[in-house]
Amino acid sequence: MFLLSFLRVIKFSLQDLARNVWLSIITVVIIVLALLSVNILLMVKVLGSAAFNAVKEKVDVSLYLKSDAAEGQIMALKDKVSQLDSVREVAYISQQMAMDSFTAKHKDNPEILQALAELGNNPLSPSLVIKPKDIGNYDDLLVSLNKLDDQIIESRNFDDHKAMLDKINNITSKASEVGLIISAFFVLITILVVYNTVRVAIYTHKREIGIMKLVGASTWFIRAPYLISGIVYSLLGVALMIIILYPFLSFLQPYLAKFFYGFDINILAYYKHNFFMIFGLEFLAVTLVNFLASLVAVGKYSKV
Amino acid sequence: MTIKNIMIKLENISKIYSPDIKALYKVNLHIKPGEFVSIVGQSGTGKTTLVKLLIGEEKPSQGKIVVGGWDITDIGQAEIPVLRRQIGVVFQDFKLLHRKTLFENVCFALQVCGEPPSKINSIVPQVLKIVGLENKMNRYPLEVSGGEQQRAVIARALVHRPKILLADEPTGNLDSINAEEIIEILQKINKFGTTIVLVTHNRDVVNKLRKRVITIDNGQIVGDQAVGKYIL
Ligand SMILES: Nc1ncnc2c1ncn2[C@@H]1O[C@H](COP(=O)(O)OP(=O)(O)OP(=O)(O)O)[C@@H](O)[C@H]1O
Ligand SMILES: [Mg+2]
Repeated sequence: MFLLSFLRVIKFSLQDLARNVWLSIITVVIIVLALLSVNILLMVKVLGSAAFNAVKEKVDVSLYLKSDAAEGQIMALKDKVSQLDSVREVAYISQQMAMDSFTAKHKDNPEILQALAELGNNPLSPSLVIKPKDIGNYDDLLVSLNKLDDQIIESRNFDDHKAMLDKINNITSKASEVGLIISAFFVLITILVVYNTVRVAIYTHKREIGIMKLVGASTWFIRAPYLISGIVYSLLGVALMIIILYPFLSFLQPYLAKFFYGFDINILAYYKHNFFMIFGLEFLAVTLVNFLASLVAVGKYSKV
Repeated sequence: MTIKNIMIKLENISKIYSPDIKALYKVNLHIKPGEFVSIVGQSGTGKTTLVKLLIGEEKPSQGKIVVGGWDITDIGQAEIPVLRRQIGVVFQDFKLLHRKTLFENVCFALQVCGEPPSKINSIVPQVLKIVGLENKMNRYPLEVSGGEQQRAVIARALVHRPKILLADEPTGNLDSINAEEIIEILQKINKFGTTIVLVTHNRDVVNKLRKRVITIDNGQIVGDQAVGKYIL
């Protein structure tokens, strides 16, 4: 008996959607727009943090040492640097290793290799490559390294990675802020539109509702179709979003790959990997919003 | 009188919409099972208000209402559907769905109450036969006369086999021949044992019925005759 009523409620709900078909379409479109803005926000976040992490991994500081520094002195300096609070690890790149990686890097460039060979001796300096413990105390690290006073230090190369990270963070958080405002705006519109759609649906079914009440239909039976409509709207909205988003991402991915050249960023793979997480949560959120909007409308416009 | 002998009991019922609108004031009324009671009175004297109190659509400001042994004075939202399945209601404006046939309109009342198709298929033809619509049940409301529409409404009010049938001016929009047919149907339903409360303005109907007549004026009962006449 419950199942029977449930099926009837679904049927009424679908009839209701069909009867107000234009309103239903507008509602679904608005839900799709809201979802689209939320997904763009998500993409900005994902790309931003991917870029940030990629750069973060590359942040290191090199101390170039004199070529004639004794191995013992270098090891002593390495130990000293390792003991600094802000240091995660220190790698010693010997003259030979620097040479090896240089030749590997330029193996396709015979002119450079030729020039190197003509020099006869190894022109590269040995170095200590230092990775900070955490990006936050990068500045501390630079201060500590600048304080180091050892005669074997030839030069210090402190590339300004920090500025780059700050820039990425800045862009990401600005874009997120804008995205958040737009999303909030669309969510608000969605609430209003769903509320209004349900209100109109109830209004067009005034006669039915009046009769249902008169003949003793239960309150839930009268109200459930409108609540179900809200769920159907969110289902349609999310389904449409998925259908729109995948071609869009496939189209976008090559451009992103070009733009973030050298970083491993694949938004399409990210979406595929987190499909159920992303769209499941979006469906739940939209359903919740629709359900609440419908509930308020139904409570207000279909008093027993 | 024991509870068994009372179908409808109003004790000191007042309905005060606002300080200057006292639709009903200190009304006492007992109606026995199987009675056919007509309620008459001028416009705006509280007849429809009485009907609304009986189906829980309005709550009394004061007093106590018992229907079929059930004190519905402070009935909760969740119990109202249960009450409505025990009371059939017919109003003056025939509330039928124009996109459904008469048959479907009657089915609708059972469908929305969660009844299974087997039950619907056995009850609906029965009630349509009682009101004499068995040959027109596949027509749409706008394809039949006002009297026939009202008969379909009566059939719909009967689907739950109610103990009480409340008819608020069921003949209000009908000519005298159609009105007479409706009253005949109500009498027939009354013979099956259903208590009938008929609110009407129609003098001829009341005088012909030769049943109990309650006269309301200004929210109060001013007449209650066992075999009544329309006195106002
Ligand atoms: N919801 C309401 N709010 C305020 N006043 C109301 C309401 N419903 C009815 N009234 C008033 O209560 C009084 C009784 O109304 P009611 O509908 O019961 O009269 P009635 O006897 O059925 O009249 P009629 O014969 O015209 O149908 C009237 O004065 C009416 O204006
Ligand atoms: Mg009235």
